Amino acid sequence: MFLASRNFCCRGIRTCQLRTDLLSRSIKHSASATMPFRHKNTRRIEGLDSNVWVEFTKVAADPSIVNLGQGLPDISPPTYVKEELAKVAAVDRLNQYTRGFGHPSLVKALSQVYERVFGRKIDPLTDVLVTVGAYGSLFSTIQALIEEGDEVIIIEPFYDCYEPMVKMAGAKPVFIPLRCKNDGNSASSADWVLDRAELANKFNSKTKAIILNTPHNPIGKVFTREELQVIADLCIKHDTLCISDEVYEWLVYKGNKHIKIAMLPGMWERTVTIGSAGKTYSVTGWKLGWSIGPEYLIKHLQVVHQNTLYTCPTPLQEALAQAFWIDYKRMDEPDCYFYSLSRELESKRDRMAQLLKEAGLKPVIPDGGYFMIVDVSTLNVDLSGVDEKQPYDYKFVKWMIACKKLSAIPLSAFCGPETKKQFEKYIRFCFIKKDSTLDAAEVILKNWNKQTG
Amino acid sequence: LQTHSLSLSLQAKMSRPVQARRLEGIDKNIWVEFVKLAATYSKVNLGQGFPDFPAPDFLTEAFTRALSGGNHMLHQYTRGFGHPPLVKVLAQFFEKLLGRDLDPMTNVMVTVGAYQALFCCFQAFVDEGDEVIIIEPFFDCYEPMVKMAGGTPVFVPLRPNPPKDGKLMSSADWQLDPAELASKFSERTKAIVLNSPNNPLGKVFSRGELGLIAELCVKHDVLCISDEVYEWLVYDGKQHIRMASLQGMWDRTVIIGSAGKTFSVTGWKVGWAVGPDRLLQHLRTVHQNSVYHCATIAQEAVAQGFQREVMLYGKPESYFVQLPKELQQKRDWLVQSLDGVGMKPIVPEGTYFLVADISQFKSDVPDVPNSDEPYDYRFAKWMVKNKGLAAIPLSAFYSEAHKNNYTNFIRFCFAKEEATLKAANDILQKWKLEKTSS
Repeated sequence: MFLASRNFCCRGIRTCQLRTDLLSRSIKHSASATMPFRHKNTRRIEGLDSNVWVEFTKVAADPSIVNLGQGLPDISPPTYVKEELAKVAAVDRLNQYTRGFGHPSLVKALSQVYERVFGRKIDPLTDVLVTVGAYGSLFSTIQALIEEGDEVIIIEPFYDCYEPMVKMAGAKPVFIPLRCKNDGNSASSADWVLDRAELANKFNSKTKAIILNTPHNPIGKVFTREELQVIADLCIKHDTLCISDEVYEWLVYKGNKHIKIAMLPGMWERTVTIGSAGKTYSVTGWKLGWSIGPEYLIKHLQVVHQNTLYTCPTPLQEALAQAFWIDYKRMDEPDCYFYSLSRELESKRDRMAQLLKEAGLKPVIPDGGYFMIVDVSTLNVDLSGVDEKQPYDYKFVKWMIACKKLSAIPLSAFCGPETKKQFEKYIRFCFIKKDSTLDAAEVILKNWNKQTG
Repeated sequence: LQTHSLSLSLQAKMSRPVQARRLEGIDKNIWVEFVKLAATYSKVNLGQGFPDFPAPDFLTEAFTRALSGGNHMLHQYTRGFGHPPLVKVLAQFFEKLLGRDLDPMTNVMVTVGAYQALFCCFQAFVDEGDEVIIIEPFFDCYEPMVKMAGGTPVFVPLRPNPPKDGKLMSSADWQLDPAELASKFSERTKAIVLNSPNNPLGKVFSRGELGLIAELCVKHDVLCISDEVYEWLVYDGKQHIRMASLQGMWDRTVIIGSAGKTFSVTGWKVGWAVGPDRLLQHLRTVHQNSVYHCATIAQEAVAQGFQREVMLYGKPESYFVQLPKELQQKRDWLVQSLDGVGMKPIVPEGTYFLVADISQFKSDVPDVPNSDEPYDYRFAKWMVKNKGLAAIPLSAFYSEAHKNNYTNFIRFCFAKEEATLKAANDILQKWKLEKTSS
């Protein structure tokens, strides 16, 4: 457990108390707590209490820190999106409950947009479920379709919630890492690939599902059709489900194409595709996501939903529906936000890469998403003085936050226990940031070598 | 040829069973069915529990202010366990009500409606083999949530003791039998769910009744999941008493509340759990592994709503004073209306629901021999389709085993505009005339 470390840091800077929420685990004994108390947590959440975000977002909340850690935009959502929400605020009936599985105008808009994308008919009432963020879709899917005795293949590095969610469902996560094909010399996210034989070996009769994330967080890999076909072939052969987390589906850079695995032959009937308003419209705080798939799978997600939170907020769903109609009408035009955002982010990506290179680092250029990973071991920062059992990248990021006032996320947070060693020299930066944030990062990175201490 | 193409399309689906066993027996849901019926047929909807009057101006204005304030970061993630301004004001507010210090970071958690707070409680504390006591009639989600957590629901009924003097029944006349309640506690009992004020009956548990439950909780070392979403909707000068304020109960109680019910914004889906850290820590674990964050902007506006109420607490302009005052009038109006047509209302002490005895209307609904649907279900469905008036059958709030115990009651929601209640009365009066003239 991390506590403030006094011999950590930099001249003139007072010890930074880097408390984490993990400290709340130390039980404060109140006067009446002397009776024996058997009410511990249930088995399903045993060992799932720590969370990288709880740890790092608190730390990076200090406004003097340039925050390139958590994946949240500090750019403004598009004006029309904010305007739609403002309009909705004035409509009385939109302050009350709407349809549990998704506000009618929203599921209709989603079905229209995705019919175009998937190239198939999508029934708004049976093939779509609206959830509290893509996070809620992942949870509903896993709770609906995964249970004790099942194995679920997770590709490393992975968005951190996959593992605890699979465990909470009583199932066993089976990890397979993306490996860098150029002997660790990676210039692009495309260099990170799955070993086909290794992947095939992970499938067995207990394999209930594989979780796919494309474009990939944290590496930014955009799986090619060929790579997806390999996965699809195994899913069909082993009668396995595919949970496809495609929240960054629109954020794909020049020369790359986002392909939906559900569109491959034989895959629609065994895939739940997950999307996110937060990532599509830069409104992570709206917490709206969706699951799209065949009725016979989605209906089980709906059962979970009706027994967990029942319905999502109405005004936000209505505003989102209106935003989708605006962009649906211009899906053939370059102005459509789905395409304009990725153009905007591509130049930020390139700038971020440039800044890191100038600091002597070798970033892995992502083909999609808004994250970039970089190997920091080449900086040779001496952290041996830090009395910590945590992996190198955790220590590095905490040191960087305290001493450089720049935050990122350690990559080993995204790995299973076996692979932590492989990834602990990488950290992840988020670049969906306004120019002034990137300017501030530039100053820190340019002065990096002048301040090693 | 048809069989061949059919089998081909079936081959495309997963051939192994897909759904998890935790979904067994929890797929049916009264709201899915009745909300659809109301949407299709009703002219006057007194069914699902939501106000048809506007949310208070100060709250919608807070929402608009937040949007126009230029802080576009309100469109991004906030703190997962609750937006800081909201947990701070909730802690401040509940400190006063509970008479103890509260830490906003560890004693309060914000959820997607009270519904999700309930879910977190069951997932955090109920393991396979655990028993959970549920008082009937109950808000329908408790049972499937206990089952989904692998627990066994154990039911204990509120029993009606009609007043001898022929007066209208009150929700206070529905009571637990103390010996019966005590018999439900076993060494496998993990928790009891308390809902006061109670949906659907409107019962406001008295200090004595709460004391009875508390004693048993302490004796058997049982948790109390206290659903208090209607805490402000209490009539006739009665007081809502918080279980957590009783001796020995703070340490074993999770209090659940709702902005939807508190501020008449059910569609915002903002709720909360309040309790000791050693219980809330486990709710946090479930929360961070299920939804993680709740929508920021709704939390910001609710925080401002509470800040206003902190200033006005106890004063006549407080929404928590005005809303129950208005609703009491509506309650009285509906009571009169139903009594006038021969439906016997049970006068609720709290909430915005009212249950009425419809046995006098039996003759209107066609008899269906060997129907497995309880009478009140058939009545409610017939009423919405033929009279355009939507209400919910009381047996929806009973366990499967007890659905046929009380089949002559339906629940009305009276959180409605005067015009709506008047329209309901018109339907009922017309119906009464049709019956007397036939």
